[in-house]
Amino acid sequence: MAPSSLDVVLKGSSGRNTRGLLRVIILCTIAAAAVSSRLFSVIRFESIIHEFDPWFNFRATKYLVENGFYSFWDWFDDRTWHPLGRVTGGTLYPGLMVTSGVIYHILRLLTIPVDIRNICVLLAPGFSGLTALAMYLLTSEMSDSPSAGLLAAAFMGITPGYISRSVAGSYDNEAIAIFLLVFTFYLWIKAVKNGSIMWGALTALFYGYMVSAWGGYVFITNLIPLHVFVLLCMGRYSTRVYISYTTWYALGTLGSMQIPFVGFLPIRNSDHMSALGVFGLIQLVAFAEFIRGYLPGKQFQKLLTSMVLLTFGLGFGGLVLLSVSGVIAPWSGRFYSLWDTGYAKIHIPIIASVSEHQPTAWPAFFFDLNFLIWLFPAGVFMCFQKLKDEHVFVVIYSVLASYFAGVMVRLMLTLTPIVCVAAALALSCILDNFLVASTPSTETKAKATTEDKSLRSARNPVVGIYSWFSKSVVVASVTLYLLMFVAHCTWVTSNAYSSPSVVLASKLPDGSQFIIDDYREAYYWLRQNTPDNAKIMSWWDYGYQIGGMADRPTLVDNNTWNNTHIATVGKAMSSREEVSYPILRQHDVDYVLVVFGGLLGYSGDDLNKFLWMVRIAEGIWPDEVKERDFFTARGEYRVDEEATPAMKNSLMYKMSYHNYQSLFPAGQAMDRVRGTRLPKESPQLNTLEEAFTSENWIVRLYKVKDLDNLGRDHSNAVAFDKGLKRKRATKRKGPRVLRTE
Amino acid sequence: MKLWAGLFLLLSFVSGVLSASSTQDKFATYQSLSRSGPVDLDSASYEDLTSTPRDYYAAVILTATDPRFGCLLCRDFESEWDLIARSWTKGPKPDELKVVFGTLDFDNGKAVFQKLMLQTAPVILVFPPTIGPFAKVEGNPLRFDFTGPISADQVYSWIGRHLPEGPKPELVRPINYMRIVSVTTILMAVVTATTVLSPYLLPIVQNRNLWAAVSLIAILLFTSGQMFNHIRKVPYVAGDGKGGISYFAGGFQNQFGMETQIVAAIYAVLSFATIALALKVPRMEDVKGQQLAVLIWATVLFATYSFLLSVFKTKNGGYPFYLPPF
Repeated sequence: MAPSSLDVVLKGSSGRNTRGLLRVIILCTIAAAAVSSRLFSVIRFESIIHEFDPWFNFRATKYLVENGFYSFWDWFDDRTWHPLGRVTGGTLYPGLMVTSGVIYHILRLLTIPVDIRNICVLLAPGFSGLTALAMYLLTSEMSDSPSAGLLAAAFMGITPGYISRSVAGSYDNEAIAIFLLVFTFYLWIKAVKNGSIMWGALTALFYGYMVSAWGGYVFITNLIPLHVFVLLCMGRYSTRVYISYTTWYALGTLGSMQIPFVGFLPIRNSDHMSALGVFGLIQLVAFAEFIRGYLPGKQFQKLLTSMVLLTFGLGFGGLVLLSVSGVIAPWSGRFYSLWDTGYAKIHIPIIASVSEHQPTAWPAFFFDLNFLIWLFPAGVFMCFQKLKDEHVFVVIYSVLASYFAGVMVRLMLTLTPIVCVAAALALSCILDNFLVASTPSTETKAKATTEDKSLRSARNPVVGIYSWFSKSVVVASVTLYLLMFVAHCTWVTSNAYSSPSVVLASKLPDGSQFIIDDYREAYYWLRQNTPDNAKIMSWWDYGYQIGGMADRPTLVDNNTWNNTHIATVGKAMSSREEVSYPILRQHDVDYVLVVFGGLLGYSGDDLNKFLWMVRIAEGIWPDEVKERDFFTARGEYRVDEEATPAMKNSLMYKMSYHNYQSLFPAGQAMDRVRGTRLPKESPQLNTLEEAFTSENWIVRLYKVKDLDNLGRDHSNAVAFDKGLKRKRATKRKGPRVLRTE
Repeated sequence: MKLWAGLFLLLSFVSGVLSASSTQDKFATYQSLSRSGPVDLDSASYEDLTSTPRDYYAAVILTATDPRFGCLLCRDFESEWDLIARSWTKGPKPDELKVVFGTLDFDNGKAVFQKLMLQTAPVILVFPPTIGPFAKVEGNPLRFDFTGPISADQVYSWIGRHLPEGPKPELVRPINYMRIVSVTTILMAVVTATTVLSPYLLPIVQNRNLWAAVSLIAILLFTSGQMFNHIRKVPYVAGDGKGGISYFAGGFQNQFGMETQIVAAIYAVLSFATIALALKVPRMEDVKGQQLAVLIWATVLFATYSFLLSVFKTKNGGYPFYLPPF
């Protein structure tokens, strides 16, 4: 009796259990796939922290593990931003470090000896598994379909849009923040559905965790009030909404204020004002709803409505007045530049200079989301079918996040979760209809009552699919798309997102891999050959890496909190030596580090970033540094014989090309990044001397000379030295003459 | 000896007075010419204005406002320059600090443009005084090049930096009463219209299909890179160098305006096919019709996706995946 034995497993309560077990297994498999697809870089290279920001997080985590939580909280770091220092404990989001610290201590408690570095490297893949789980929960709240949640979890697990920020080794705030984002939204939806204080409080709890982990929490701070506001505008006020919102706002705001870096921002900053405003509005609406029950007359009702509107208007005006008068800080620059897209370029060049703040071209969307990008609008459309409170949330989130992702590349990260939700809704709807084994009988044509409000395309009742042929066609093509999606994701992850960028890989002509390890070579040289407190000046991109790998104090780093200090470095780099040398002396600089890709053709080098240094310096010293001077009369940015005098005399140019010509036969020196032939003579450096150049010339280190012993200026001293040598040489060559007098 | 010195002093005094009086006149004439805005110059008056000796600052913009030259920057900045000159002449300032603002259009001053070998416009030159209390040793003009659209505030602060220390008039933008009035009127009109038309508007506002359409269009626009076009100001289409039009820009980081519209249309077709398969087809009661609809929509989906992949392959050369037809 094979069928009946199967029936035992598939039907009734044991059937439910079987399905539950299957579900758990599938989710575990998805989590495993999510983790393993992020390990390319560890397998290919080694267990290493990637890029720039993660190096700071890693350094801070090490500090936390070594010195304990309280000294981490009060950490003043005198090894960055020399000579200012940085109140690191008060100016970072501690969530990430504390999370890995807690994991470290738990593992130690279980007597599992594991290096803190490995925890940091593997934290992001680990949390991506949790994100897939949270995604399952969130999507299951949106749909009755049993498959939607699983599909969404699978999408979230492997979509490149999320992998780009969570491969092993990219130990950045986003590593845990996306999990928190998705989970907070899940709790919020749960709270709105049930109207329970418990879910609201849980939302606030995870919101607080999110605040401690990532600056992107502002997205939640504005999205939830917007959701509530739209619900109110749709006339969908209910006690459920009231309870969940007030609980979330009160507890969440208190929670977020516990983070020193956030402090009083929630009540003093425009970014947070929408949450406060909606909090006020919902009180008014609740009050009006309450009174309405006791007021008989229609006039009273009208009076009440106008009272509510008036109070809201007054409150709104008050907020505007407070922001204009400066009590409430205006929008923070980064956030504001999302709305006024030209703002950053004019006023905050340091924000505009970061490549991940650039707008997104369409291929990037397809690259990161593949076929989800066209399932996405379909899924949003399906949300309009029922349009319950949670569907309103999906719609708002979709529109807003796609705008943000279009303006800034890095915000693709916030778009990805909702794309997965919507795409899963759409695809599960197709699969549920086309994967039903039974064929509907043609006779039963039960006319359901058509709802006037619903979408036009969904007014008739669902009949089902008749023929096996249509079922197999659709299922086969969908399977094909899904398989291609997996292949695409693997290809993208392996090719685009798994490079540590500290170690570069290239292919030799014979196909073998060639590892370029110049950065670490130079940082370890610094570590071993310079005194412990030798100050290193470099452009801010490399600050965190120098701090993390070389363990030496830096002038500026990737925490770009002091624009003037960065501009000072920019000025030193872009000025003549006579101007730069006093700046270097005043800042106790011992070594200067530049990145030069001319020999290898590495395009991310300092000369390509040079214009940003000039621009940022010009913002502070418009009379001394001028961008125009670095372009030729025809408006070209050149480094060859026809480069402008300002360019040729700048410290950056000299440091990049110092002695470079000696690598080539006379007059043959080539810059492979900019593809130009260089001048015959290599530039003359007077105030610096070359200390170290890495194997492929990517990193070059210069030591700042001390003041001359005889009180000459450096150019004279160098000229004298040169002249002396020449004289000696002629003397030696000359015939010896006996004194015959 | 004393006599010589005295004579010399006297002579220099006389010459100083003479020259001062002549430049004084020059300043007075240009100031009267200007009334409150900048002086319109031609080649001759430009030479006269900038000739030494002068006891005043001369700030001259060399521009080409005629539509023939297609200098958008020049025309945009014309009103801003006017604003600067007006703010200066009207505002309170120390008496001895004299500044003349002038405009030299290319039509009136071809000779000057040739002499200065100017390739681009607009350019602002500021000539410091050669005599008087603020005289500079070297009388060379300071030059301000335009690198992009620039507001009056930036130019004004640049000029202000090169003037001697001391109080200077603020840059005052005139209050645009017209705009205030029009905004208030429009606002009131909107409020009135909504109250009067609310019975007719409400069904439209509450129409779910409308909102669905609006959200979908917004999403399609944003995900097809419309914001990139807006921020980077990309061209709509470009020639392919052989007389034809190339619809798709080469490279992963580039795109054309038309390209994004094509992509948005592709996405729209794909989404619509998905919606049809998911929502419409299962609701069809006719067996044959349903079969046909499934076939059509599945084919459309497949072909369009294949086309999308081929387009993406042209943008990203190393991309290994494709679907048969394209």
